[in-house]
Amino acid sequence: MSDTPAPTPSPAPAPAPKPAAAPQFSVDTLIKEATNGQIWKSMFRNWPWQDTARHRARHIVDNVWLHLHPTKVRPRALETTFTWGLGGLSFLLYLLLTITGVLLMFYYRPTVELAYQDMKDLQFAVSFGIFLRNNHRWCAHAMVTIVILHMVRVFLTGSYKKPREFNWGVGVILLTLTLFLSFTGYLLPWDQLAIWAVTVGTNMAAATPFLGNEGPFANLLGMKINNDVRFVLLGGTTVGANTLLRFYVMHCVLVPLVTGALIMLHFWRVRKDTFSAAPRQPDEEKVDVWPHLVVREYIAAAICVAFVWFVSVAFDAPLEELANPNVTPNPSKAPWYFLGLQELLVYFDPWIAGVLIPGLIIKGLCAIPYLDTNPKGVGYYTWKERPFANAIFMFGIVMWFVLIYIGTYCRGPNYFWYWPWESWLIHKPAPPPTWSFPLWLGVLSIAGYAGLGMALPKLIKGEIDWKKANWGFGVFFLVLAAAMKIGGDIEAWRIIVVGALLWMTFLFGFLYPQRYLKDIDFMRYQIAQSLNLMMMAVLLKMGLRLGLDVKYVLELPQFNLNI
Amino acid sequence: MAEPIKRKDFLWIGWGALATFVGGATAASVRFLVPNVLYEPSQKFNAGPAKEFPVGVSTLWFKKQRVWIIRTEKGIYALWARCTHLGCTPNWFLDQTRFKCPCHGSNFSTDGDVIAGPAPKPLWRCQVEVVASGDLVIDKATLENRPGIRDKAPYFAEV
Repeated sequence: MSDTPAPTPSPAPAPAPKPAAAPQFSVDTLIKEATNGQIWKSMFRNWPWQDTARHRARHIVDNVWLHLHPTKVRPRALETTFTWGLGGLSFLLYLLLTITGVLLMFYYRPTVELAYQDMKDLQFAVSFGIFLRNNHRWCAHAMVTIVILHMVRVFLTGSYKKPREFNWGVGVILLTLTLFLSFTGYLLPWDQLAIWAVTVGTNMAAATPFLGNEGPFANLLGMKINNDVRFVLLGGTTVGANTLLRFYVMHCVLVPLVTGALIMLHFWRVRKDTFSAAPRQPDEEKVDVWPHLVVREYIAAAICVAFVWFVSVAFDAPLEELANPNVTPNPSKAPWYFLGLQELLVYFDPWIAGVLIPGLIIKGLCAIPYLDTNPKGVGYYTWKERPFANAIFMFGIVMWFVLIYIGTYCRGPNYFWYWPWESWLIHKPAPPPTWSFPLWLGVLSIAGYAGLGMALPKLIKGEIDWKKANWGFGVFFLVLAAAMKIGGDIEAWRIIVVGALLWMTFLFGFLYPQRYLKDIDFMRYQIAQSLNLMMMAVLLKMGLRLGLDVKYVLELPQFNLNI
Repeated sequence: MAEPIKRKDFLWIGWGALATFVGGATAASVRFLVPNVLYEPSQKFNAGPAKEFPVGVSTLWFKKQRVWIIRTEKGIYALWARCTHLGCTPNWFLDQTRFKCPCHGSNFSTDGDVIAGPAPKPLWRCQVEVVASGDLVIDKATLENRPGIRDKAPYFAEV
């Protein structure tokens, strides 16, 4: 600290200001003594502290933990309602999970004989064990929630647009890794929930095309039950001792390391791409990060920690009975954030619901910044300037949470549909028989849907009056409903389900792209509109199943292609 | 004096060697993850005297061995209680004479055929054999579900 010779408030033992009691022990003098010594000054570079602009800047730059921040930010970035602190909170939860996770590792042994017993010990025999386990579990749920909300926030403020496209992609991978961390952690308690969630999850891997023994084209690479991708994941043919060890290593070492590395990349790019590109105010002046931003971060962190601690004291993490590979709990459900996926498994072939659709969602999310050519709406919330992007994205998010809601509250024993207010003790009759389209009709439907869906918005050049279009759809629906009622004597609620989903497809698959998407270049239109149509097709298929008991629209069992 | 190696060729060899090394190391790592010895329990078990099974679906070995033993007027076959959708264990419902999977709602008949839900294939039938002592021996490692083949030995044993 040679450049700022401190105006040493000399802790002189010599002439004391008050000559009264000579060796006066007060906390203040003790602190003064300590902070003026060589040890303290060697630890903190920016000492003694003075409240000047220079010191506030150096407080950030000279501190390894804080230097990720710039020294000054635009006042916009401080507004709580702009970022909601969601990115920082995701990272905070990652750190909390690391701490609680490492502590739990001191008692947990990843073997089939001991794992469940150790969980019980943590709950009943170890001091604060139950709190730590609860904390770890609820932090994980909170992290998944907050990472998803962070993605929604970044989308709505257009913060993925040039030059931030790549960092959005890194964020999507981080979201996937967050879910995978949760998934690998789920097996470790070795209870019924654990083993069956992982059995279902890894059997989806077995349905992967080419690489899984139950997937399409498994024969091409000679995939069998004991050499395919699931076998590698499980370390055996069923969820067993090897699986537990593998998931333990992935959960505690491999995935956290990869996630940590990507978090660093993510932060680094946030700095390099600069923070918040909102249009500048005329007389805008940057403010010091210390204390303005850092204090806000601390407050957000404190609220978050207080919240998860409260939840961890109030609610215990579930622990079902010991894993039993021969008996599946009824109903058997994945953790809530996978229930949307589990719901899709009811409607599609496993490799489509478990491999193709999630893969397309991840790729589609990564593609968003490259497809969205609208330069407006960067750094602020706006619906008017980005009507199509916001509508489609939020529709997808809402749809995902509707699926999660259905999986959580509307599925009962034997995975039958039970309304939330219905008792699970009611005996439901056997489900009605399902039927599939004949092959020619299936091919025709899919070709027609894809062809018209791709071509129509581009071909119709003029402006469509949405009011008239929706009235037109209403009339079409009434005719259709009458035909269904008279022709097939179909119950009213089924007609309404089919009608509602048809209307959503009409709105998001045709009207929106016709107005907002038709003028972008050919390649972008092809990719964006096909992703859009596929999303709507998933919904339509669900409507056909729930409303009309259609098993598959297209059935090609040779290729496991059952849509 | 031989011609000194050209910069271009040197780089090709260098990068090629590095790529080969990284590729080989990756392949070896993947192979390392495929275990050669498994300590899983044997898939073959003795289910006791074949004649003692009553006509209908027996859940006697369901909890221990994950199979239903089904006796018809003619003989016995064994269904592996693993849903062909994603591997959950279905449950037997006597009043509706069907197996129902709790995970995604697939239903199967006593023949093992899919009657509802997303399961793509019928339930697997295990190899069964009535040995000299009259005991029924079931092998879950040898499976069949094609109609016609599954109704004959060794997937069906006359009793």
